[in-house]
Amino acid sequence: MDPKLTEVSQLFERFKAAFIRKDFNTCENFLSQLKVLLTGFRSLPPLFEDTPNAVHELTLARDIYEHAVVLSVKVEDQDAFERDFFQLKPYYTDARNRLPQSPQEYPILGLNLLRLLVQNRIAEFHTELELLSSTALENPCIKHAVELEQSFMEGAYNRVLSARQTVPHETYVYFMDLLAKTVRDEIAGCSEKAYDYLSISNARQMLLFTSDKELLNYIEEEHPEWEIKDGSVYFQKAKESAPCKEIPSLQLINQTLSYARELERIV
Amino acid sequence: MATMVSSAGGLLAMLNESHPLLKLHALSNLNNLVDIFWPEISTSVPVIESLYEDEEFDQHQRQLAALVASKVFYYLGELNDSLSYALGAGSLFDVSEDSDYVHTLLAKAIDEYANLKSKAAESNNDATNVDPRLEAIVERMLNKCILDGKYQQAMGIAIECRRLDKLEEAITKSDNVHGTLSYCINVSHSFVNLREYRHEVLRLLVKVYQKLPSPDYLSICQCLMFLDEPEGVASILEKLLRSENKDDALLAFQIAFDLVENEHQAFLINVRDRLSTPKAQPSEPEQPRSSEADSAQNQSSAPDDAQMTDGSSVSNVNTRDADPSEVLYAERLTKIKGILSGETSIQLTLQFLYSHNKSDLLILKTIKQSVEMRNSVCHSATIYANAIMHAGTTVDTFLRENLDWLSRATNWAKFSATAGLGVIHRGHLQQGRSLMAPYLPQGGAGGGGSPYSEGGALYALGLIHANHGEGIKQFLRDSLRSTNVEVIQHGACLGLGLAALGTADEDIYDDIKSVLYTDSAVAGEGAGISMGLLMVGTASEKASEMLTYAHETQHEKIIRGLALGIALTVYGREEEADTLIEQMTRDQDPILRYGGMYALALAYSGTANNKAIRQLLHFAVSDVSDDVRRTAVLALGFVLYSEPEQTPRIVSLLSESYNPHVRYGAALAVGISCAGTGLSEAISLLEPLTSDVVDFVRQGALIAMAMVMVQISEASDSRVGTFRRQLEKIILDKHEDTMSKMGAILASGILDAGGRNVTIRLLSKTKHDKVTAVVGLAVFSQFWYWYPLIYFISLSFSPTAFIGLNYDLKVPRFEFLSHARPSLFEYPKPTMVPTTTSAVKLPTAVLSTSAKAKARAKKEAELKANAEKSSGAESSSSGANTGKGKSFTEKDGEAMQVDVPTEKKSEPEPSFEILTNPARVVPAQEKCIKFLEESRYVPVKLAPSGFVLLRDLRPTEPEVLSLTDTPSSTASTAGASAAGQQGSVSAMAVDEEPQPPQPFEFTS
Repeated sequence: MDPKLTEVSQLFERFKAAFIRKDFNTCENFLSQLKVLLTGFRSLPPLFEDTPNAVHELTLARDIYEHAVVLSVKVEDQDAFERDFFQLKPYYTDARNRLPQSPQEYPILGLNLLRLLVQNRIAEFHTELELLSSTALENPCIKHAVELEQSFMEGAYNRVLSARQTVPHETYVYFMDLLAKTVRDEIAGCSEKAYDYLSISNARQMLLFTSDKELLNYIEEEHPEWEIKDGSVYFQKAKESAPCKEIPSLQLINQTLSYARELERIV
Repeated sequence: MATMVSSAGGLLAMLNESHPLLKLHALSNLNNLVDIFWPEISTSVPVIESLYEDEEFDQHQRQLAALVASKVFYYLGELNDSLSYALGAGSLFDVSEDSDYVHTLLAKAIDEYANLKSKAAESNNDATNVDPRLEAIVERMLNKCILDGKYQQAMGIAIECRRLDKLEEAITKSDNVHGTLSYCINVSHSFVNLREYRHEVLRLLVKVYQKLPSPDYLSICQCLMFLDEPEGVASILEKLLRSENKDDALLAFQIAFDLVENEHQAFLINVRDRLSTPKAQPSEPEQPRSSEADSAQNQSSAPDDAQMTDGSSVSNVNTRDADPSEVLYAERLTKIKGILSGETSIQLTLQFLYSHNKSDLLILKTIKQSVEMRNSVCHSATIYANAIMHAGTTVDTFLRENLDWLSRATNWAKFSATAGLGVIHRGHLQQGRSLMAPYLPQGGAGGGGSPYSEGGALYALGLIHANHGEGIKQFLRDSLRSTNVEVIQHGACLGLGLAALGTADEDIYDDIKSVLYTDSAVAGEGAGISMGLLMVGTASEKASEMLTYAHETQHEKIIRGLALGIALTVYGREEEADTLIEQMTRDQDPILRYGGMYALALAYSGTANNKAIRQLLHFAVSDVSDDVRRTAVLALGFVLYSEPEQTPRIVSLLSESYNPHVRYGAALAVGISCAGTGLSEAISLLEPLTSDVVDFVRQGALIAMAMVMVQISEASDSRVGTFRRQLEKIILDKHEDTMSKMGAILASGILDAGGRNVTIRLLSKTKHDKVTAVVGLAVFSQFWYWYPLIYFISLSFSPTAFIGLNYDLKVPRFEFLSHARPSLFEYPKPTMVPTTTSAVKLPTAVLSTSAKAKARAKKEAELKANAEKSSGAESSSSGANTGKGKSFTEKDGEAMQVDVPTEKKSEPEPSFEILTNPARVVPAQEKCIKFLEESRYVPVKLAPSGFVLLRDLRPTEPEVLSLTDTPSSTASTAGASAAGQQGSVSAMAVDEEPQPPQPFEFTS
């Protein structure tokens, strides 16, 4: 066996051990080394050279990246998640014909969908969705995300929040928590538009807080422009009285005059 | 590379990894994929940019990032950003890579660099703040070009970027240095717009030339002439003349002829004066010699002798007992001085034009007959046409034969009739004075001649001596001073201006100025133009003086004359003239703006300068005065004459303008810039204008068409024939407007100018502007206001001849080949006499009377033709009925005549033609000229036309000269012209023998 491959495999084993130990710092160190080592393999994307160990290498690399994704969820690092996911993606799409499907594929794709939902990147969410096959859509992990999105769009926020109990995979919990925040932001945004003010208790109910204190903290952090006064929350709607667009009269006059002049010059 | 991935997303994500090795990996992969995935990468460009700027990165990595960013920007169309990153990529940007990206960016880099360099040069800022990386790229490109043997590219880039060091390197390293050099000269003339810089390039070229083991003196001297360095030319000439080798002397002569062709009078005089006089015996004191030289000088300029400096008297005296090499040198010096003075070439040209004159008097006769007597415009137009047709041929038969008719010209018409003689005798330096003597003002007021003919005669003298007026200047000055008749002053001013063209002679200027300050309209106009002629191309301070006076005077004529004069002073000065042009074009007075247009035209003449074109086009459409607009369009012709193909395209829109003045200008612009080219697009553009609704547009179009078609034969463009017939129709049409009729008459003159042996040429063979020609056409275009100025067109005529000369500057018998069908370039067929048409009518008369006899006779004739019997028998048979018989023989004769040409046609026309020195070689023919290998003479320079020195390979054999005598007496001209026409007359001669049978007329 290729010594390099052996090295990677051994390192990966140690990574997995650390992973199980939940020693995430060590994990990240190993992961970084692993990624560097992976660049040495020519069979990996984007080159996809047909080396003798190609299948093995690809499988290994996919495994590493899958772990990387899961790790990023564990350490609650969304950027790392995105990075790792994108590096993993070619193994799912471009290497589809070279490798047997990974058992982790759907959960991870579902995770990604969930992430997009959390980050409120609905357009990308749908792009990703379109790229999935119909069998993939049947998968509970994917389905879960899709249903969430539908509820989210409908405004059935309570359904979204209750879905936390039915997560198909333990890693989803992290995102579900984040989702609650996203939902709250949505509601806040809507209320701002819909009401001039709300009483504190109503606002608390509306924003799904359990205590007034939480609400006040939230307002302080996210919406400092809101005003609390006489037991009510005043939404300082940015009352920009949309100034009626001024007609650029001078410019128009100039233009017309220059047209007239040009007409004169026509030979 | 087959793409295996569907997205660059993974790699882009990798860029955000913290480990530098991963980033490097991602970058290098992206670099390979960027051609396909640039849309995806473009969103991540900020990341890549930040990588490039990351100081912690190692050099290679940053360059790689820059390269990727550059490529992405290239695909996004942001070439500026792309270039700046490509510069950052340093050596990773591979100039030899064969991809669109590299090509585009290289072009961009070179453009940028050239731009910066030229800006730096303009602001005279030595400390150029050019990005050294940019410089490095361009240099790498240049080195690569030189290494790959693409010297022309390298030279082009080097010139564009003002890298003379690289230019020199490219030239010296090239395998064919001479070829490269001449290429470079061409390039510098056609593409280097800035005068200063062009001079720098040429200076460099001279330097390179001189370093060569076998210097090409012809080219060096051309360059030196552009640089206006007479010392260099003089020293080269002297070196060649002093050489033992006869060939070197021939070369010197050839150089001199080439220099003369460029008509740079002041320069030539300078060169001539710098040639050292032959060394005399040491015993001879220094003093007498110089005084002798002075006396020779005086003698030459003595008022009663119109001859040029001969120099022979000086050398003869001095070298009587000098050593042989000095004698040889003195002899050669005499010759070269003759050439440099222009005398030799003018004399030879005159001989050529005289001996080859093929003008068709019948055309003139037709014009004369069809023009109404009382219509003075057409009358004088005919006189102009005659003068132009015979320009420089000394053939004034037509005038002599029609003295009666001529005498109808009165006043100014008389002025121009007399001046016309000057055109006809143009270049007749020796006898000009005596020819014009009867018309010249006699000393004192006693002269009985009319002031008009006297003024005309002075003008004529100017035309004869145009640009070679040393001998006649004094006389003209005296005449100017001794008169206060404004007509004579007018003529004298014009004459003086012509004779002293471009000499910037202060004394003459003062004389003319005093005429100007008399504030007489007629004389002032002449004076204004004359001042300009005198100061052509000097850009002297005088211009502002003239401008001030133009503001003061009330006379429009004077303002117009001055405006043109001011324009002439800035001839060829390009950017230097900008302030003056600005001043004139902003003036309140439309006439001065009109002068401004001419200033633009002349300052940028033949440069095709974009700025000038833009300005002219702007005025052409925006000025309120029609005159200014017309002139602006016309001026385009001058700016563009070095690239005639461009003109029809640029003015095509203007030629469809609603404004007739603009259309007129467009016609003349095409006429001027495409003169003598026969360019198909030009003809197509002019054709509709010749039938315009406005009379003066027709006039302009006809004249322009004639200018374009000069010397184009019907065989090469059938539209020439159509045009000739159109002219005839217009002239004969009673109801045609006078204006267009005049245009048609002038056009027929120009079409057959100079006995059909000249063309209008504004560029010499070395692509140098011919000052005289350009100035001539500029003043000619002024004929709109003042008809006598039409004669200025004669200045732009240059003979289309190959004249081979031997060591003695004589024309030996020498044959060479024109590798084309003779009919392509032959003279147009002479027009048929109208009587022949009446002869053709005859058969109808015969038919009615004796059809039977005719039938019989025909049979007989056939029989006889078969039997090949003599015509004597035939005449005896027809003796029975003389009248009919005569007509019959005539018919038979005609039939035979018809037969001969058909027989000729049936045999294929030869594909070549042997020409004999001196021969007419029209411009289009030049590329077909071949020299025969076994010939006795070998040309020094392989030029297909012009003056060419011939090296004699068999000097011991006696030489046969083909041109010996000068047209000394004008009396013989009539006979000569008749002889010239003999070929054409032969057909008529047959008809002449039997008298036209009168009796038959009654039947009709």
